[in-house]
This record gives sequence, structure tokens and C-alpha cells, in this order.
Amino acid sequence: MKIYRCLAVTKRVFRDLKNDRRTPALMFLAPLFAMFVFGVAFSGDVKDVPVIVVNADEGSTAQGVWISLSEEIISQLDRQMLDITTLKSADEARNDVEHGRALAAIVFPEHFTQEVITASFPGEIQVIIDRSNPNVANPVLKSITAAMTGTMQEIGQEAPITIHEDSIFGKNASFMDYFFPGILSFVAYLLTILLTLITFVGERVSGTLDRLLATPLRESEIVTGYALAFGLLGTLQSAFLLTVGVLVFKVTVVGNVAVAFVVIALLAVVSQSLGILLSGLAKREVQAIQFFPFVVLPAFLLSGIFWPIEAIPSWLRPASYMIPPTYAVDACRDVMLRGWGLEKIWIDIVALVGFASLFLMIAVLSLRRRD
Amino acid sequence: MQLVKKFGTVTAVDRLDLTVSEGEIYGLLGPNGAGKTTIIRILSSLLVPTSGEAYVLERRVPDKSIASNIGYMPQETALDTGLKVTELLEFYGEIFGLPRSAIIEKENELLRFVDLEAWKNTLIAHLSGGMKHRVSLACALIHDPCLLFLDEPTVGVDPELRLAFWDHFHALKDTGTTILITTHYMDEARRCDKIGFIRRGRIIAEGSPTELLEKTETTSLEDAFVEFSRQEVTP
Repeated sequence: MKIYRCLAVTKRVFRDLKNDRRTPALMFLAPLFAMFVFGVAFSGDVKDVPVIVVNADEGSTAQGVWISLSEEIISQLDRQMLDITTLKSADEARNDVEHGRALAAIVFPEHFTQEVITASFPGEIQVIIDRSNPNVANPVLKSITAAMTGTMQEIGQEAPITIHEDSIFGKNASFMDYFFPGILSFVAYLLTILLTLITFVGERVSGTLDRLLATPLRESEIVTGYALAFGLLGTLQSAFLLTVGVLVFKVTVVGNVAVAFVVIALLAVVSQSLGILLSGLAKREVQAIQFFPFVVLPAFLLSGIFWPIEAIPSWLRPASYMIPPTYAVDACRDVMLRGWGLEKIWIDIVALVGFASLFLMIAVLSLRRRD
Repeated sequence: MQLVKKFGTVTAVDRLDLTVSEGEIYGLLGPNGAGKTTIIRILSSLLVPTSGEAYVLERRVPDKSIASNIGYMPQETALDTGLKVTELLEFYGEIFGLPRSAIIEKENELLRFVDLEAWKNTLIAHLSGGMKHRVSLACALIHDPCLLFLDEPTVGVDPELRLAFWDHFHALKDTGTTILITTHYMDEARRCDKIGFIRRGRIIAEGSPTELLEKTETTSLEDAFVEFSRQEVTP
């Protein structure tokens, strides 16, 4: 081995980098971006979860002093975690939880304080909760228990209070049930975007794109052709994954899977347009690979696949809603865990159609450049 | 007319005036970087000129409406290497809206012409460089265009097949096809009806091969090019 030959190779690598300024820039920017997204996304607790309180307890007088245990417990609830609104009717509160307007409802029955103080009956708080997202539901339940325990310690009473949990969705859901819709969306997003990105950089670099554009084929036809192909592939891919999920991991599907497939197909169309757009920024396949952290990390950390959006710092939360997979993950969970149909997930569908239309349009324009 | 194309500060095509008559084979000859490919890309509606106007089939380019009458063969092979030869030809046939039967018929004819019948079910990635060039030419001819833009079509093609290519170009010409071709091979250029010597984005001389040789009193087009270049530098 000759050291001067080794050094010549080393020098060549650095010369390559010198001549391609984007690569070294991305080499430093990408990890910085990764560190930033990880650091910020994982630093928060669950916050601003909409919870309804229905308080039918009228309080009670003990030793000449009026006391309301329910008010005490409510005052001890974590206001940072829970965004509390009050309602009069338990039915109305249940309806809100069923329609996804609130994650939980805490219902204090009539004579709650009196029953606890006189110990005539064990006091029971009813918690109507949406358990489709255990990452949010569990901290919320913990917070309610902590407020209850704190209150009882304060008044020095070991009273028989129980929490009656009334799960609306995901009663027997495992973590895999919750996780699976996220995996479906993430896989469709990731693979489609990467495949399109690499394919289109190849089409540009090899000259095949120019060759196509010299034929009657229009830019919009190229993009639509790709969209149809990747929409179909996304659907097939999710059908395959779903079959494995159900057969091997015993994933429970409550709703109509066809609706979930529509969502995944839409996400695939969004992703392929994004891939075409990004391909315009890369001159070589190597440069395209350097975009991966920018594509993967936000979706991985901010779209609610693993980490609940409720736990992302509020100032960063708008970023979650600018990422298409967020809507797909939400819609797939609604369908597969809550059993909702198109009539309830239409906001997610509209968002995905909006993203798809916007990105498809920009992708067509990006191909139309004739500099 | 007075066509200009600049890439940043570099002028690739400089006030170019060029007319190709219907039914002729026009050869653009010049060194690398002279602007030949840029001209073909402008005429194929792939680039917008910086200034000036270019007309193809009486339409000012870029214009997509004439694309179905044009056959474009780029300098690089530019083929989808993941397809088999027949699959690629069928794809191009479909783009040009040919009926299935016409595609099959034309495909067989072209495969015979480019001598790739034995390779028709081979992945393009597995073909040699010369074979890829032949497939590339076949793709440009699948729809029987009346105008052909061929950018270095015979690079990497063996001498025997090059002759066959030129015979085919002349056969196409006889059916009324107009061909604009760029080439490095001076012996090939002799088979053009008209030649434009191009240097630094400008036509420095134009005429039939015989006229160009007579004007410079040379015996080869290579010497004629050098002579015209010299005259341009020291008028």
C-alpha cells in the first residue's frame, strides 16, 4: 500500500465536494435539521387536549362549612394538559366525544360530595374517553386520577372514590392497533416519495425526460400517469400490509378498509408530486438521497405516527398540519379504530385532495421549465 | 432568424440564421461546444431561445402541436433501461397514438432495419452502447415523422451499420422526410444535401459538400472547415 495513492483518493473526494457545494452544505444542514426536529418534537408533554367537564354535584355542608369535592378535583386538573370546557348534560358530552370534538368527558354525578363525605355510597366519577390514541388517553386518565388523589389528600380523607371508565373507541385496542394506521401512511408516503424522486432525477439526468417532452406527451400527462401508477401501487401496498397486519399481528379494523385505501391512494398521489418537485432541485441521484432527512424526519416525528400531535410544542404544531401524512394518519386511525366513514373524515380527505392538487400543479409547472 | 441562446454568460447560439428546405438532409458540422445540440433542442421545443425566432413546420417554436410530426433522437441514448426493446417501442407508439396493429407492424420493420430482431426481448440495460443507439433511432422513427432531428445518430455504431443508417436516411428523404442531423464524421457529412459549418454558435459557411470544397479549394470537409474557421478569425 502506498500512502501517496491513498492520499490521492482522499484528495479526489474533497475535490468532488469542493466542486459540488450543495453536498457539503447538506451534509451539515441535514444532521442539524434532524437534531432540531428530534429535540423539539420529543421535548414536550401532552398539551391542550380538549376535555369536557359535566358537574351535576351540588356540594355538601360538613361541620357548618360548604364543600364541593368535585370543584376541588376540577381545580386540581392539569390546565396545561387539559383544555377544559364545561357542559350541563352528560349525553351532550358523550356526543362530543363520539364525534371527536373532545377526547374525554369527566362526569360528576349528583350528590357526589355528600356521598363521599358520608361514605354512604362510594363516590364514582365517570370518564367517557376516546381510547383510539393511547398516547394521549393514558396521560389524560393519569392526570384525572392525580387530581382526585391530590384532593383527597388535601382534605385528609381516604374516601372510596372510583373512576368508572367508559371507553367510546378502542376499548380493547392494543398498541399495534393504534400504531398500524400510522405505519400504513408512513410507508406509502416514504416509499412513493423516494421512488419518484430517484426515478425523476434519473429521467432528468439520462435525458429520457427531454425525449418524452419532445413527443406530444404533455407535462400534465406525465404527472397524471405517474399519479395513477403510484396511487394504485399505494393501494396495493396498503392492502398487502393490512392483510399481513390482520393475519400476523391480529390488528383490529373497525371501519371500512376501502375508505382507508382511498386515503392511502391520495397520500401516494401527494407524495409522488412532492417527489417530482424535489427532483427538480437535484442534479444527481446522490443529491436526491441527501433530501431524505428533510422528507422523512418531519413525517416521522410531526405527523402523529409515533408521537401524539398533542405532545408537540404548540408553536411547532402548525408545522404538523403542513405535512400531508398528518391527515392520512388521522383519517386512517379514524377509519380503522373509530370505524368512521367518509362523512366524518371529510376534512382529512379535503386536506389531502388540496395538497394533491397543489403539488400536482406545481409539479407540472416544474417540468415546464425551458431555461 | 437571428436566433440567440445564452446560458448565464455563455452564448451557445449567436445570431443564427438557418433554413432547412423540405425534403433535404441538412448536416450541422462543428466541434464540440459549437452549439449544435442547443440548436436541435430549441427546434425540438425543449429550450426557449433567449432572443430571435425559430420556425419549424411553419410554427414558431416552442410549440407542442407539431411534436407528432417530429422525430427526435438525442445525443445521449436517453432510453428507459428497465424496459425490453419491444416494450419501449410500444410505449413510444402509444404516446404517438398509433393503433396496436400499426405499432406491431412498425416495430417489426424497425427491428429488422436496426438489426435487433434477436434482441427484441432483451432489457435495454443489457444491450451494448451501439445497440442502444440503434434502439434510440428506432424510437425516433416509430411514428413515421416528416421531420427528423438527429443529434449525433451514428456515434458508437459500427461502420457497416452506419452505412445502413445513411442508406435509410436517404430512403426516408426519398419519401419526403426532412432531416436535420449533427455529426462528427466528415465522411458521413458528404452524404448530406447541404452542410452548415458551425463555430461558436454561428454558421460560418453553408452549401452543398461540393460547393464547400470548391470554395476552399480543399479535398476534405475537415480541411474546408479549418479554412473557413481561419477566414473568420482573419477576414
